[in-house]
Amino acid sequence: MNPMTELGLRFVRRPGPGGRAANLAAFGATAVVALLVTFLIAGSLGLSQRSERIGWRSADKADPATAIGSLNLDDDQRVDGHRLSVLDLAVLRPNEVAPPPGFDHTPKPGEVFVSPEVAKRWSSLSKQYGHDGMDKPTGVISDKGLSSPEEFIIIRGVQTITADQHPQYVSSWNENVWDSRMLGLLIAVAFGIILVLFPILSLVGQAAGVAAKRREHRLAALRLAGATRTQVLWLSAVEQAVLAAAGAVVGLVGYTVLSPLIAQIPLGGGRWYVGDITVQWWTVLVVLVAVPVLSVISALIGLGRVSITPLGVVRGQTRKGLSVLRIGLLVIGPVMLAYYGMRGAVLPLLIAVGFAALAVRVVGPWAVQLVGKAMAKAANGPVTLLAGRRLVDDPKAAFRPVAALVLSGFVTGFISVFMPSGEDDPTFNDMRIGVALLLSLVFLTVAASTAAGAVGTALDQAAPARALRRSGVPLSVIERAARVAAVVPVVAVGLPVVGFGALCGLALSGGKIATEGSSGVLLLLGQVVAGLALVTVAGAAGAPVLRKASAN
Amino acid sequence: MNFQSPQSQVVLSGHGLVKHYGSVVGLAGVDVAVRSGEALAVMGPSGNGKTTLLHVLAGILTPDQGEVWLGSERVDQLNDAARTVLRRRRLGFVFQDNQLLAELPADENVALPLMVDGLSRREAIGRARATLAQVGLAAEVGRRPGELSGGQAQRVAIARALVGEPQVVFADEPTGALDAATGSQVIDLLVGAATYRGAAVVVVTHDNAVAARCHRALHIVDGRVSDAMGAVR
Repeated sequence: MNPMTELGLRFVRRPGPGGRAANLAAFGATAVVALLVTFLIAGSLGLSQRSERIGWRSADKADPATAIGSLNLDDDQRVDGHRLSVLDLAVLRPNEVAPPPGFDHTPKPGEVFVSPEVAKRWSSLSKQYGHDGMDKPTGVISDKGLSSPEEFIIIRGVQTITADQHPQYVSSWNENVWDSRMLGLLIAVAFGIILVLFPILSLVGQAAGVAAKRREHRLAALRLAGATRTQVLWLSAVEQAVLAAAGAVVGLVGYTVLSPLIAQIPLGGGRWYVGDITVQWWTVLVVLVAVPVLSVISALIGLGRVSITPLGVVRGQTRKGLSVLRIGLLVIGPVMLAYYGMRGAVLPLLIAVGFAALAVRVVGPWAVQLVGKAMAKAANGPVTLLAGRRLVDDPKAAFRPVAALVLSGFVTGFISVFMPSGEDDPTFNDMRIGVALLLSLVFLTVAASTAAGAVGTALDQAAPARALRRSGVPLSVIERAARVAAVVPVVAVGLPVVGFGALCGLALSGGKIATEGSSGVLLLLGQVVAGLALVTVAGAAGAPVLRKASAN
Repeated sequence: MNFQSPQSQVVLSGHGLVKHYGSVVGLAGVDVAVRSGEALAVMGPSGNGKTTLLHVLAGILTPDQGEVWLGSERVDQLNDAARTVLRRRRLGFVFQDNQLLAELPADENVALPLMVDGLSRREAIGRARATLAQVGLAAEVGRRPGELSGGQAQRVAIARALVGEPQVVFADEPTGALDAATGSQVIDLLVGAATYRGAAVVVVTHDNAVAARCHRALHIVDGRVSDAMGAVR
C-alpha cells in the first residue's frame, strides 16, 4: 500500500488529541448531507413514479383517430375535506388494449372503479354521484393506478365523451405525460434544490473543513519534513474519503429507516407509497460516489494553503484581505430575475436564483470582515476586541460555520414574498407543505453545519485559549468572544441577506407581493428566532469542546 | 549576564508539594522558595516534574498535598476563580511557543490581560506600548505575531507577562523554540526586565546556558529536588 494511504488510514483510526471530536463532527455532517441528497433524489423520482401511474389522466395531445380512449376529468369535488376526482372514461378500442394501470379489466360503459378510500365510503358516495343502485363499485383500483394511498377517485366507464364535455384523448395508458400537479411540484422541487444547494455545499465544506483544520498543522509539519504537495493532498484525500464514505453509508441507512415517516408527508395529493420514495441502486451509487468526492474536493481546496505554504500555517501568517469587487455579484441574480420575470422559462430562473445564492456565499466573508474591522476599532473590552479581530483575521473561516444559516435567510426572504394564503386550494396546500419541507431541510442543514463549525472553531482556538486561561483570562471571556464571533456574522450579515432574498423574490414577481395575510411575517420571524436558537445550540456544542481542549 | 542573588523577602514558596496523575508521580514532596528579584531555574530530565512544579506554584494545578504561598496568601486553598484572578493580577507567564493570539497585533496582545481586568482600551494600549518599547519593540506594536520573527514574538510574550507588574513571572522553556543567540537575548531580557522591577522569575529549562543566567537552579528528578545536582549558585 502507498505509505501516504497507509498513513491516512492510520490518522482515521487514531486521530490524535481533539481529532476524534473533529472526525465525529465531519462524519455526522457528511451523514446529514447524504441523507438530504438521498431525500432530494428519491423525492424527485417519487414524483416521477407517481406521475407515471396517473399521467394518462392528464393526456390531451393524442390524435382522436388513433386514440385508445377519451376522458373527461372533474377534480373539483370534495369529500371529508379531501379532493375527489371523478373521471369519465370511454375506451375506444376495448378489445385491442390492455386495461389501464391498477384495473383488473378495461372499464366498460356503466362500470365504476374507485380508489380504496372511496370504496370505504361507497354507501354515501354512491348516492351522491348517481350510483345508488350499485351496492358496491365494479372494482377497486390497485396501488398501480393511484397517485397516493389516500387518493379519492371515481373512474366511470362511459360509451362516449361528447364534444361539449371537451374530451381529452389518450394514446397509451403509459403515456410519458406529466400529471399537471406533479409537474408543478417538480418545478417547485427544482427551485427548492437550487435554494438548498448552497446550504448543502456549505455543509459539505464545513464537514470537510472541520477535520481539515485539525490536519493543518500535522500536514504542515509533514510538508516541512519533506513530504511533497501531492503526497500531503493524497493523505488528506484518503482520510476525508474514508470519513465521508462512512457518513454517506449512515446517511443512506438513515434515509431508508426514515422513509416510512417521510412517506407520511401529504405533498401532491396525499401520503406516499413507501415504494415510490425507496432508494434505487443507482441512487445509492450516486450518493456513495458524489458525497465523498464533493467532500474530498472541498477538503483539498481548504488545504491549499497548507500544501502550498506550510510555513504560513505554522506561523499563523496574515491572510490577504477580501476584495470589495465581490459586491458586484449581488447585482446579477436580481437583474436576471427581473428580466425573465414570472413568465420566463424555468431554467434561466433557476440559474438566476442560483446566482443570487452564490452571491450571498461569496459576499458573506467580505461583509464579515467589514463588520469585524468596525468591532475591533470600537472595542473597549476584551470580548468585542477578540471577536472583532477573529472576524477580520479569517472572515472565510468565520463565515463558513454560519454560511448555511445566512443562506437560509436568503431562502426565507425569497419565499416570504410568495407565501400562499389560507385558501382551500390543493396548489396552495402543496406550496405550504413544500415551503415547510424546504425550510426543514435548510434548517437541518444549518443545524449540522453550525454545530460542526462550532466544534471546528473550538478546536482551532484550543492552544491560544489554553495559554490565555493559564495567564488568568477567565474561560467565560474566551467563551463569550467565541459566541460573539459566531453570532455577529449571523445578525450583521444574515439579516441584510433576508432583505436581499426578499428583493430577489420581488424582482421575480415584478414587484408584487403575492403573500396574503401574516404568513410572510410569521415566516420571517420564525427564521430569526430559529436562526438565533440554532447559533445558541451550536455554541453549546462548541463550548464543551473548547473547555476540554483548552483545559490545563 | 550574571545576576547577584538578592537578599530580599520570599515572595513565592511551596512546602511538601505532592502531585499525582493517577498512578504516575508528578511531584513527591518538593520544597521551594523564591525571593523578590530572584531568578530560579528549574532543571531536570523530561517527564520528571519540572512543568508540574511550575503549574502548581502558579496555581494552574492544585497539589494533592502541601502548601503554596504567594506572599501572605495561600494559593492552593483558593478556588479556581480566585486563582484565575490571582494569576492575572499578580503573576505573568511566558510559554515556549509564545502562544500569542495570531489575530491580534502586538500591542493588543499585550493589552488584553489589562482589558480583561477592566482597564479602558486607551489606557491598556498605552501601557502595552510602553512595555513593548521597554523590550525593544516600539516599532513593531502594530504587527501581528505571524509578521514577527521568533525572537520578536517571544519579546512580545515577555511584554505581555510584565505589563501587569506581576510579583512572579513563570516561563516554561522560553527559549526552546529559538536559536542560541536569540535565546540568550530573550532570557537576558526576561530575567533583567523582571528582576529590575522586583519580580521573581521561575524558569523551567533544559538549557544550561539559560540556567546560568539565573541566580540559582533547582534540579527535579523523579518528582523530588535532587541534592546531588541541585547546586545553588
